[in-house]
Amino acid sequence: MVKKDLSVEFLGVHFENPFCLSSSPVGNCYEMCAKCYDAGWGGIVFKTIGPADFLIDEVSPRFDALTKEGTPFVGFKNMEQIAEHSLEENLADLRKLKENYPDKVLIASIMGPTEKDWEELARLVTEAGADMIEMNLSCPQMTSHAMGSDVGTNPELCKKFCQAVKRGSSLPMMAKMTPNITDMVPVAQACLEGGADGIAAINTIKSICNVDLNRKIGLPIINGKSSVSGYSGKAVKPVALRFVQQLRDGIPGVPISGIGGIETWEDAAEFLLLGATTLQITTAVMQYGYRIVEDLKNGLEHYMEEQGVDSLMDLVGAANGNMIPAENLDRDYVVYPEFDNDKCIGCGRCYISCFDGAHQAITWDDEKRRPSCDHDKCVGCHLCVLVCPVRAIGKGEIVMKPGRKGSPEEKAV
Amino acid sequence: MTQDYKKELKPAYTMLTIMEEAGRCLLCYDAPCSKSCPAGTDPARFIRSVRFRNFKGAAETIRGNNALGAVCARVCPTENYCQLGCSRSGIDKPIDIGGIQRFVTDFEEKTGMKILEKGPATGKKVAIVGGGPAGLQAAASLLQKGYEVDIYEKNEKPGGFLRNGIPEYRLPNHIVDVEVERIAGLGAKFCCGTEVDGAKLEELKKDYDAVLVAVGIGEAQILDMFKDNPYACPGITFLAEVAKKGGEIDLPDNAVVIGGGDTAMDAATTLKILGVQNVTCVTRKELADFRASREELETARANNVTIIDGYAPVEVDGKEVKFKHRRLKSELEIEADLFVLAVGQKSSAGKLGLDTASFEDIHADGNVFVAGDIVQGDKTVVAAVQKGKDAAEAIDKFLGGK
Ligand SMILES: Cc1cc2nc3c(=O)[nH]c(=O)nc-3n(C[C@H](O)[C@H](O)[C@H](O)COP(=O)(O)OP(=O)(O)OC[C@H]3O[C@@H](n4cnc5c(N)ncnc54)[C@H](O)[C@@H]3O)c2cc1C
Ligand SMILES: Cc1cc2nc3c(=O)[nH]c(=O)nc-3n(C[C@H](O)[C@H](O)[C@H](O)COP(=O)(O)O)c2cc1C
Ligand code: SF4
Ligand code: SF4
Ligand code: SF4
Repeated sequence: MVKKDLSVEFLGVHFENPFCLSSSPVGNCYEMCAKCYDAGWGGIVFKTIGPADFLIDEVSPRFDALTKEGTPFVGFKNMEQIAEHSLEENLADLRKLKENYPDKVLIASIMGPTEKDWEELARLVTEAGADMIEMNLSCPQMTSHAMGSDVGTNPELCKKFCQAVKRGSSLPMMAKMTPNITDMVPVAQACLEGGADGIAAINTIKSICNVDLNRKIGLPIINGKSSVSGYSGKAVKPVALRFVQQLRDGIPGVPISGIGGIETWEDAAEFLLLGATTLQITTAVMQYGYRIVEDLKNGLEHYMEEQGVDSLMDLVGAANGNMIPAENLDRDYVVYPEFDNDKCIGCGRCYISCFDGAHQAITWDDEKRRPSCDHDKCVGCHLCVLVCPVRAIGKGEIVMKPGRKGSPEEKAV
Repeated sequence: MTQDYKKELKPAYTMLTIMEEAGRCLLCYDAPCSKSCPAGTDPARFIRSVRFRNFKGAAETIRGNNALGAVCARVCPTENYCQLGCSRSGIDKPIDIGGIQRFVTDFEEKTGMKILEKGPATGKKVAIVGGGPAGLQAAASLLQKGYEVDIYEKNEKPGGFLRNGIPEYRLPNHIVDVEVERIAGLGAKFCCGTEVDGAKLEELKKDYDAVLVAVGIGEAQILDMFKDNPYACPGITFLAEVAKKGGEIDLPDNAVVIGGGDTAMDAATTLKILGVQNVTCVTRKELADFRASREELETARANNVTIIDGYAPVEVDGKEVKFKHRRLKSELEIEADLFVLAVGQKSSAGKLGLDTASFEDIHADGNVFVAGDIVQGDKTVVAAVQKGKDAAEAIDKFLGGK
């Protein structure tokens, strides 16, 4: 049986493994968090806590899901606000969790409309025993513009709020970013200047998942209406990874807690390789339960074993250097697809996609029901590779474009 | 036709199709499948690992619990065990748990995983008589607990019915070899070609701290009316012969198989696969209360075995047999070149001077323990595996382990 040390150090705090609940209903009260720790998670970001006088009033129903063919929950839309329990209840839960689980990491997520609120909340959660603070600068469904993702697009405001939190607490602190922005770096930079020790990314993406075609209302329907609100789950992973990479590019070495669409250890490893040190998850837990941590941990241990590393820290950011600006990519060669006629089952999907979506380079043998590729027309886009249902198409011959220097052998394709 | 005999009939999943099948699993709360494996396998756990792309973790779950996981994946009557209460049946049909287990254990083999480890030495020695599934599993469990294990096996190679009963198109020899090698790799010593009799058993009792007898029920039986009939052969004898020759046997033009259990189905399907024109299986039981697993019955039918139910033989004359229906007024006469009689087997424990009736308790007497088919309970590989684990546990306790 594989046994690897999954522990990481993040903002000076020791995590027995990098897997944390992200702030959301999955970490909403003591019982839930206790069960989660027992299941083996390394840390919890408790559901975002707001000021005592802030009224939370939720809609029902409040979720929707994007599906595709047989796959439920490709993406998930929620209309939730922040914690519905009272401030006192939340603080009591934090206190009890720290008491009973002293070795697990407890992170308090907070949010307020004014600097005073931020400072006060920071002070309160610190007193309650949190190990770290996460500032929620990014909830897309708050009803007040002083709170939520609009704040997270304003660098000056973010910086001021960070400074306020730092006045209220000396705990390590990360600022949670909204992805509803073109460039996250200026906001993250402002937060670091304001005293943030690290960045958490991403929160949910503003979305409409589906529309009821007969009633002509977006889903979910709340008394005949709906709203734009946050999108999460597997479908947002590519967006989250992009932001993580760009943060590491723009602010070299910045400590990151990666969030967005993590379901499997492979997703987790991708976030690590692109520079996240801890990993946060909500949607997959809502769908499958805390038990997913078993395969996240075990799968990651096997990956470490295969990679021959003894510390996860050796993997953090290992792929950053291999993401470069598109204009710097090598455009001197073409990799032609190679068709394995024995694996091919004759469905013709490659032919359709190449004709209708690429460069009409595939010739179809009606008799044999087999494709063949005309290199004069093929541009090596590999659309066919992606559509083949049996992976019968792979990377084949590499050819230099006319007049380019270098040789195919030296290309890492 | 021998080509087919050695080729697994059931196709394996590929990396793509396995995700489709695992994707059908509902990832149930309090999963029914995980409560109905006789050997305590947790299918919900390993299917979830597959679903979340942790194939190695899935292999650890299977292998950690069952030293013959790749065998069970192929031969378990899953319809009576893990798949019986599968919640997915509420939508269409149960998850193919055996198929997923096969994919995972194949993956384990391909990637050369070493999951089981030898335990810290206890300095004590156990002899196991019989290298069938019960003996093999007991060996693996004992080695993991730090015992030295010697296995005495009558045949040239260990495996028991895995090698000389279950045909290759259901369980290739290669799979048995790999499972046996893994156990040898843990430190088991195999003394093959050694038949243990009463005297030898007494010796073993003295030379070892404990002895486990797992000799199975391999003594062939035949109906009295077929005694001395040159055209008749017991089912397990026939299957052992086919297995030994890798399918290269002299074929009859037509054959009758008598019996309605798994052995009968295996014999009939084997005859068909080898190329016998007419294979008729006549069974006393009626199809409604058939003993053979549904999958075995379906395989026989898919291979065009003629199945006639409700008839028992009443008269034999050379190549001619007369059958009568048990309830109806109906008679049947068939002429055949070969009669395969799959009508049950007897315990092999008698040859060791042990009580030949089926044992109730794993702890037989003194430092002698028993496991496998000779112990009461299901007569399946997975049941033998569990009995092997139980015996290892009992021996460990007996010898002062924790
Ligand atoms: C044709 C057939 C098909 C079957 N199909 C299935 C199936 O699909 N699924 C399933 O779960 N089960 C099936 N079974 C049942 C299954 O094979 C048995 O339940 C299982 O093998 C019992 O294991 P065992 O270790 O108790 O005995 P065995 O497998 O019988 O092994 C006993 C071993 O002891 C050795 N031995 C015997 N006497 C001595 C001696 N005196 N000294 C030394 N060694 C000795 C034998 O050579 C043998 O290797 C089938 C059985 C048969 C006959
Ligand atoms: C139902 C729901 C409620 C959420 N509530 C909060 C919250 O209170 N505070 C917060 O910072 N993020 C909240 N989030 C965002 C998640 O913490 C996370 O950033 C986002 O869902 C992306 O991760 P995922 O794809 O693993 O779900 C919520 C998400 C969901 C689905
Ligand atoms: S998930 Fe639970 S709380 Fe939500 S609607 Fe269903 S039963 Fe009610
Ligand atoms: S998509 Fe794949 S399987 Fe289908 S015709 Fe093309 S190569 Fe063959
Ligand atoms: S009972 Fe069936 S559907 Fe449920 S977990 Fe087990 S295999 Fe999956």
